[in-house]
Amino acid sequence: MAHNIWKIGGFILIACVLVLVFAVPMGPGLLELRGTGDTAMSNDLDRKMPEYLLTGFGTHWSENPQDLQVLVRSKANLARLEVIDVLDDTHARIGLTLPYSVPSKSWDVLTNHSVDGTLLLENGLFLSDRFIDESIILSDIDIEEFEADLPFHFPYQPRILESIRNLMLHVPMWFTMFVLMGIAFVASIKQLASARATAEDEKAESAVRVGLLFGILGLVTGSVWARFTWGAWWVDDPQLNGALVTVLVYSGYMVLRNSLESAALRARLSAVYNLFAFVILIILLMVLPRFTESLHPGKGGNPGFNSYDLDSALRAAFYPAVIGWILIGLWMHRINMRITRLNKKLK
Amino acid sequence: MNEMEDIMNSSSAPASSAWSRFAALTRHAFKMEFRQKNGLAGLILFSIAAVYTCYQVTGSRADAEAWNALAWVVLLFSAFNAVAKSWPEDAPEMRAYLVHVVRPQEWVLARITFFSLLLCGMSSIVFMAFILFLGTEHLNGMQAVYFFMGMLVTSVALASLLAMIQALAVRANGGFGLIAVLGLPLIIPVILIATRYGMDILHGISFADTAHNLLFLGTLSGGFGALGFILFPYLWSD
Amino acid sequence: MNALNLILVQSHPLEGWFFGSGKALVVLAVALILLVGFGLWMWRAEARLKQLEAKLDSKNSAPS
Repeated sequence: MAHNIWKIGGFILIACVLVLVFAVPMGPGLLELRGTGDTAMSNDLDRKMPEYLLTGFGTHWSENPQDLQVLVRSKANLARLEVIDVLDDTHARIGLTLPYSVPSKSWDVLTNHSVDGTLLLENGLFLSDRFIDESIILSDIDIEEFEADLPFHFPYQPRILESIRNLMLHVPMWFTMFVLMGIAFVASIKQLASARATAEDEKAESAVRVGLLFGILGLVTGSVWARFTWGAWWVDDPQLNGALVTVLVYSGYMVLRNSLESAALRARLSAVYNLFAFVILIILLMVLPRFTESLHPGKGGNPGFNSYDLDSALRAAFYPAVIGWILIGLWMHRINMRITRLNKKLK
Repeated sequence: MNEMEDIMNSSSAPASSAWSRFAALTRHAFKMEFRQKNGLAGLILFSIAAVYTCYQVTGSRADAEAWNALAWVVLLFSAFNAVAKSWPEDAPEMRAYLVHVVRPQEWVLARITFFSLLLCGMSSIVFMAFILFLGTEHLNGMQAVYFFMGMLVTSVALASLLAMIQALAVRANGGFGLIAVLGLPLIIPVILIATRYGMDILHGISFADTAHNLLFLGTLSGGFGALGFILFPYLWSD
Repeated sequence: MNALNLILVQSHPLEGWFFGSGKALVVLAVALILLVGFGLWMWRAEARLKQLEAKLDSKNSAPS
């Protein structure tokens, strides 16, 4: 029982991760601030102002409607917008109280609320009909800032929304594939060092087989995620090309194995090819994406997603997911290897 | 078996030092290639026919993207065609003899050198055919030189990987199919960098700003060469 | 539940349909059952492997 603890542990970890993935709620965020075309009258002054509709995501504005504060920010300039009324939890009518001359065209929208805390919508407001004078400074406001008062939740990310949960299913697939291909790489080196025995070759073969399975699962989960966030099942991205080519390279490894009859020669040739394959894997998935523009987070093109590795809720689910999937992959690899060896002995 | 004697006699000095054995092997590979004139003529014909097919499809109106894509695809397939055949030295009895005369490292270095020079020749032919048929409207002045330079560096990178893949496929008794299955996925990083470099050159980006791609290709071919140098003895021994 | 559902549907169609309506919990249950089934299957496979290996070993050692 004691030496089996890691096998059970892997499954328990993944079970916990699945519970987190499907049960933890999403944090609040801002979806858009859009002009309605109407004009509204200001509450205190008798001033006309354009009316905007602010849409939130999972926000709780109707709980304390009077606490909702809406601000716009552009570099050091900060200005307050007027909340005309709160329609429901996620919709509020906003009056644009900016003067005719403003320092910038595009503004970040911020809200502060006693439940949701501070939320940010980058470049949420674009003013095309105002006079731009960069020397104007707007900063004289005083706000009462609230801290967020929310249960355990996953962070809101623009465009990714609820699909952030896929992080726990997609990324660990690649980690597991890396680990298994690394095992195959080490086994292949050992195989070349050993003269006649093919034990290490069987290890490499089953590691590649299970690793390929995880690679294909990574492609499938990634494809589904790409459809949701980027709008296509497949996009031209160095990371994706690298992943597909890796799967092709290792399929070539399996083809090479199947085309060889003699066990000793097969062990040696496939070990040689496997070393090439692993070097290509490193180049494709770790070196090349750093040199090119990529849609993937942390590599340019999608700056809104850079904060995910700092969030404690995601960490609490992501690290167990990585460890759990790697443990399951290792167990699958061991069973596969033992079946291969048993088959060989029976022949 | 006079081919074996060729290897030993073709160098003027007795083939004792590693360098002279390497030089003799390289010279021998060229001798064998030029002896089979129809094989070489077939390769050249294949490249020119491929370029001519591209010309028939696009005319001389190919835009920069298409020009770039066609050039690299034709180069890639010419390269595979050039290496994907078995030389007389690949026969098992020949290997059994060579194992006693030369070191496998010398053999693989000679092979890589031979393939590099052969593929450089092929890429020159492809490039000239492209200029002849598809025109030079995207290549002004130095751009053509830089593009050709990229083709030569890519040829060396292709050669250093394909030499190893060809040896592997021959050892596994596989034909062109096996070389394609094993080689094409492995070659994709090289092609990705090469096409990006070509696109940069055709779009008029200055050479200094895209030269890192060539450096990367050089590093790759060095890496493949080193890997082949280390691993080839395992392929050769019985 | 209904009011929350309506709001979620307004802000994003998938949220109301999947997470707001509790369908996510059904998917969670199915995923857990699949995971446990897979784990038990692997456990059984390993036990049978052990049995077969032991059988093969005794067979190999008996004649010699």
